[in-house]
Order: sequence, then C-alpha cells, then structure tokens
Amino acid sequence: MAVKKDYKDQKLAEKLRDRKYYIPDSNPEFIKDVEKIGQTAAHMCYQCGTCTGSCPSAPRSSYRIRLFMRKAILGLEEEILTDPDLWLCTTCYSCTDRCPRDLAPTDAIMAMRNLAFKRDIVPRNFLQTVQLIYKTGHGVPNNDANRAARKRLGLEAEPETTHKYPEYLPGIRRILDHYRLKENADRILAEGE
Amino acid sequence: MAEVKKYEEPRIGVFVCHCGTNIAGSIDVKAVMEYARTLPNVIVADDYQYMCSTPGQNKIAEAISEQKLTGVVVAACSPRLHEPTFRNATKAGGLNPFRFEMANIREQNSWVHMHQPEEATSKAKDAVRIAVAKASLLEDLIPKSVPVEKAAMVVGGGVGGMQAALDLANAGIKTYLVEKTPSIGGRMSQLDKTFPTLDCSQCILTPKMVDVYRHEGIELLTYTEVEAVEGYIGNFDVTLRKKARGVITPAEAEARGIVGGGCTGCGDCATVCPVIKPNPFELGMAPRKAIYIYHPQVSPLIYTVDFDACVKCGLCVEACDTKQAVDLEAKDEFMTVKVGTVILALGYDIFPIEKKFEWGYKNYDNVITSLEFERLICASGPTGGHLIRPSDGATPKRVAFVLCAGSRDNTGVGKPYCSRFCCMYSLKHAHQIIEKIPGVVPYIFYMDIRSFGKMYEEFYYRIQDEGAKFIRGRVANITQDPVTKNLHVNAEDTLLGRPIDMEVDMVVLAAAIEPTAETEKTRRLFGVSCSQDGWLLEAHPKLNPCGTTTAGVYLAGVCQGPKDIPDTVAQAEGAASAASIPIHRGEVELEPYFAVCMEDKCAGCGLCVNQCPYQALALVEKEGRTVMQVTEAKCKGCGTCGGFCPGGAIWMQHFATPQIIAQIDAFLLGGEQ
Repeated sequence: MAVKKDYKDQKLAEKLRDRKYYIPDSNPEFIKDVEKIGQTAAHMCYQCGTCTGSCPSAPRSSYRIRLFMRKAILGLEEEILTDPDLWLCTTCYSCTDRCPRDLAPTDAIMAMRNLAFKRDIVPRNFLQTVQLIYKTGHGVPNNDANRAARKRLGLEAEPETTHKYPEYLPGIRRILDHYRLKENADRILAEGE
Repeated sequence: MAEVKKYEEPRIGVFVCHCGTNIAGSIDVKAVMEYARTLPNVIVADDYQYMCSTPGQNKIAEAISEQKLTGVVVAACSPRLHEPTFRNATKAGGLNPFRFEMANIREQNSWVHMHQPEEATSKAKDAVRIAVAKASLLEDLIPKSVPVEKAAMVVGGGVGGMQAALDLANAGIKTYLVEKTPSIGGRMSQLDKTFPTLDCSQCILTPKMVDVYRHEGIELLTYTEVEAVEGYIGNFDVTLRKKARGVITPAEAEARGIVGGGCTGCGDCATVCPVIKPNPFELGMAPRKAIYIYHPQVSPLIYTVDFDACVKCGLCVEACDTKQAVDLEAKDEFMTVKVGTVILALGYDIFPIEKKFEWGYKNYDNVITSLEFERLICASGPTGGHLIRPSDGATPKRVAFVLCAGSRDNTGVGKPYCSRFCCMYSLKHAHQIIEKIPGVVPYIFYMDIRSFGKMYEEFYYRIQDEGAKFIRGRVANITQDPVTKNLHVNAEDTLLGRPIDMEVDMVVLAAAIEPTAETEKTRRLFGVSCSQDGWLLEAHPKLNPCGTTTAGVYLAGVCQGPKDIPDTVAQAEGAASAASIPIHRGEVELEPYFAVCMEDKCAGCGLCVNQCPYQALALVEKEGRTVMQVTEAKCKGCGTCGGFCPGGAIWMQHFATPQIIAQIDAFLLGGEQ
C-alpha cells in the first residue's frame, strides 16, 4: 500500500503523495467486469495508441483512451471511476474501427461509465441530459433559434420526433423508468445540491 | 496370404508412463496399471517415471523376452513423438516392431483434463483397454524398401531455392531448379542493400545467380511452373509446364539447326518493340517492352515475350535477324522429370496494404510501400537511386516509416503474425536516406523494435545515433494535404501520452507479407499442409523445421513463415541436407501400411481401382482369374479401397477390420465379450 506521511500542509501532502503502483491498490476483478459489460477482450490491449491517435477528444483534452485501457488491465478501479476524463468520449467509434487487436475501446469506456454510475459518480451535465430526455425526448431539445432556422430552410418548425409526436413520450419514459435512470438522476442531482 | 495370424494365445505387456508429472499429475498411473492387469491377455503391467528413457525401454525389452510377449502397449504421449522409440524397444526385445500399440494418455488426456483427475483416469483406462484389444490382434509386418531416384527438384528460384539447388548439386545430386518468372533471383534481387551489414544486395546475389546458371549439376528451368505431381518419396514424377517464352536459347537454336543462333541478350528486339508495359520487377514504376528482361543482371540472360501484350508485328523477329531467336508462334510445352526428393522455396508476396484504407496507399501519391522504396533508393532502379516524391519528383526531407503496417493485426483485414524483417529493413531505410539526403529526418513509428538477430540490436543503436527519430505509437490514420500533397500522420506518442499530427513529405509503409498467389496450388500438388495463415507447415516447429508431413518434400525460406535472408539461406541449407539424405542412402523404407488383396475373396470387379486416389491398384490375371493387385510403393494406406470393397477382400495392414472392430468392441462393451 502507498506510504502515507503526515505533512501538516495539505498541499504539500498532495504534492509529495506516494504515486507508486502497489498491487493491493488494484482490483483484479475490475477488468473482468469491464469485459463482461463491454463485451470486448479489453485485456488484449497492446498499447499501440491507435485509439488515442484516432480520438477526436484527445487533441483537445487530457482524455487518453489508451491510458484507461492500461489502468483497467492493472485494475486501478478507483483511479478510473473517479477520473472526470472518463466522460469525454464522444462515442464516435473511430478507435473501435481501427484497433488492430479488434477490440472495442469505446465499449470498454461505456462499461466503465456504467460501473461509475453504479457508484453515483456521474457528471451533472449527463444527469441533466437524462432529465431533458425524460422531459422532451431529446438530449438537446429544439429551441426558438432552431425553429426559426428550420422555417427559413422551408422545414416545419418541429422535426419528425417526439417534438412533433409527443404521444410517443410515454414510451420513452417507460424505458427510462425501467432502468430507473430518471429516478437516479434526480436523486444524485438533489444530493449534490 | 494375409490371414489374421492369431497366436494361439496373445500375451500382452502394458507399460504406463508417468512422464514426470505431465501424466501422473492428473492421472492415477498406478490405478491404470492395476486395471491393465485385469484385462484379458495381459500378462504383465508395469509403470515408470519416463518410459522413453533407457531404463524404461529396457523394461519393455526385458519383459518381452522374459514373459514371451506377443504384443506391447505403452500408455504415454502421442505416437508422433515416441512411436519410433517404443518400436525400437519392441524390436530390441525380439518382437516385430509392428507388434506395438500406443495409447495416448498425455496430449489427448492428462493435458486437456488437468483439473478432472477422476475422469482422466477413467479415460486412460479406456484408452489402455482399446490398445490392448488391438495389440492382441497385431501381426508381423515387414517395411518395404524402394530405390530413390538420384535427382532432386527445387521449386522457386529466390535466394533460398538457389542456395538449396547449389548445395544439392554440389553434393553430386542432379537438381532441377524450377522458377515461374523469366529469371532467378527472387525478392532479394529487388532489394538495394541488406541489413545489418549494408552489403549491396545485387552484388552478393549476382555471383550466386551465375553459379546456379553455370552449374553442371543444375538444370535451370525458368518461366516454368509445376503442373502435376505423382508418386512418392524416392520416385516423384513431376510434370512441368514450360510457358511459351517466344525466345529460344542458343542451345535450343542449335537443336533446331540454326547455326550461331539463339538469344544472346543483346536487346535489339526490345529496342524496336512498339508495345510498352509497366515492369513488374520495378513494381510498375518503370516501363518495359512486350519483349523484355526484368533488369540487366537477369539469369539466364534470355528475353521473354509477353504474349498478353504482344501485337505480333514482327519487328523483333526482323531485328533479331540471323540469330532467329524470336519465335512468336511458341506454345507452352510440357515435360516430366523423375526426382527422389523435392524442396519447396516458394517465397512471399507483399500484402495488398491498400486494404488498410486509413493509411491511404494507392489513394495518396506519396504513400509508398517499403518494396517500392527499395526500388527508388536503388542505384539501378527507375530513378537511379534518387528517392523522389511520386507526386512532384521533389526530394523528401521528412519521411515517416510506418511499422507493423498490416502485421500484428487481428481485425481480419491484416495479418495476425509479425512479418519479422520490417523493423530491420526500416532501420536500414532510415540509414539510407540519412546517407543520401542532407538534412533529411526519418520518423519511425513503431510499437516494438524487434532487432533479435546477430548484430541487429547494434544496428538499431547505430541508426538511432545517426539521427533517426523513433516514435512509439502505431499510426492511426494518414490524411493528405490536397494542395501540397504532403501527408499528415496521426498517431499517439504513447511514451509522451500525447496525440501527434505530423506533417511529412513521404510515408513508407512496412507492409505485411503473405504467401504467394501460387503457394496454395503448389502445396496441394505436393500434398503439403499449411497453417491457418497460409504458410506451409513444417513437420515439427522445433525439431524438424525443414521437413513436411509428406515424406520426401522439404521447405526452405519464407514459404514456411516470415524470415530474413540469413534465416532463409540457413533453412535452405538444412532442407538441402535433409533432401540429400534419402538420395545418398539410395533407398527408403516405407511404412508397411499398404492394402493387400485377399485373392480368394476378390471377385475382380475392379470398383476399387477407380476409387484409389494414388493410382496404386490394378486388375491382373492370376491362375485364370481376374484379381486386384496393389503396387505397394504407391499405396499410402489411406483405406479408401478397404472400406469400399463390396466383398471385404482388401486387408489394410495394421488397420485391419478385425483389429478396428476389436478396438470398437473394447470401448463400447467396456471389456465384456
């Protein structure tokens, strides 16, 4: 386990924190959970970096999908699930298209998000998106600017979705309720107030 | 005649091997041995740590003479490993070696049922019971010797095939060297320099090509393909198709009575030929005529007419004048040669790397393959050794090398294996541009640098010292600037953990290699297996890497799996040595597993004759009756005829019907009669 030293100054304590990898810090079951949920043999990653090289998020953020794969193999569950970068994948699936080991890194990331959600570790904007979908059927609902633009283009103000057919909203809500997504989103958001 | 020579009373000895803990770790060896003692006809049962050791073998030999055994069963590993060992032990005890039967309780039992000891032990008992049932009915068999033709064939005229042919011929064996293209030399003649010594490839290869051409013991057959193969070790009849070359050699001219005629390689024909085609030797980057040679050092120096392109205008015939070497009416010719052994040295092709579309090969002008790079950097190549960008002819100053391009790829598009020489030639390429282009920077995108050979790691050190930049990351994709035709290489520097967008002037893809298009057809003709990636299968990956499971056929070079020039030459010499052994011995022993006709039962219907895949059967007249006769040397013991014969008149030696029935009964009835 990491060696702890009693610095009075919290900043100094964080700065000089023991960063070695110790086997007890890892959870060997974590990669199995990721593979079970993500349905991809994540432990076969050979760290070539094709994923990060293909990633549209990587050049603009500190998100490194290859590092998440590496940490998952090493079982660094805490480090992964508490890392806000986990939520920066756009799910474009470029890495999955190109992975030479024929893995699906995107699905591994989705699996890790699932595991994080189970522990209520979710960014607030994701939860708010859940609320919006519940309310409107859209993650990004139509707005007046959009309606005006649509009209200028000769389209109807509302697209062929739940905006135009609100009678389908109950169906969407049933799906979200089935997974208790809205309920959990509301709860976590309220707890965070 | 073949009847079951049943001894009055079979006396069987059973010997169970522990194989250290390989078998004893999951199987209760003592219990299997005790069980064997209860089986009918078993006189003695014993166990030992390692039956294959000298004391183990002595146990068998002693038991045979002391207990007057009529059959021996060893329960141990696969017969492929130690059947010969235990046959020798059986022979040493004074029994015919074919009175031995093996029960595989290792590969097919203890190793796969490691965690089920009870079931494994029960299965081992079954295996022993089945083997004892067969051993009780085994008969004496005498292996047949056949003479070996004192000639060999090497298929493929690359550096491996050439080396093998030279070794065989130098050992006094008449050798046919068959090459599908118009010249020997193979891939090595396309290379500029060789790593790590930086020898000029052509300079070290050309003398060998001349040696092959001049050698009295080698009959060089270029522009020739294998059409059909019949026979077996010692006596292969190989039919060859000599493709219509349209040009005759001085020797052929003399045979036709043309004095002083035949091709001298002067090239007057090509000068006047109006048809221009891409030269495949230069990978299409230079032209050739419809009557052509690949390059000036070809061997033999004889022109070839590309009849797919030739318009038969006859200008070449006029230019050739009194030599009368050009024959535009030439047709394919066939010849059959008899050889004792064969070496396959079929080489490789470059994987069509355009299938990995993210790298843009064939889409972006300045993305080339390593083999194209070899021709462009070669002084005798299409640009005289000046590396240029195909898009504008400019000299590149920033060159990216993409390693593992299509190798180590499990997507199903590329190849799962390591192509084994790309790391080293890419290091060499980096050296070559540093040497030739002032101010150039090579960027090598790699996952692992595999520099495993003698002086290879030292070469890696040298190239790093010369200024090559190494980036540890596989290239994700390449995009092209539509105006400058420069390329953006996208990857992650995994050591920095940072994505890279590197603008370069040229990209060289170290493309994976794959078996040649003809490999599949040729291997089938010779009855050689291949592994799932298409490379030809050696008899044993460690202990018999030059042999195949087809007796008398050997492998050399990349056709058996990716390897560089030193390894190819080494394997070629190994294959030549192996292929010369049966020839020098003069005869080979064939396993006596051939079919025998029981003439009193044979009705002479002849149905079996057409069933035989090896043309080993014929109908003959004997004592006024028509009966089938087996040519034993041709029979492979496959059992097709034996299973088919409506009268049950064919006896498959060592796999006879009563023996197999006894095995099935022993299994199904659990030893009850």
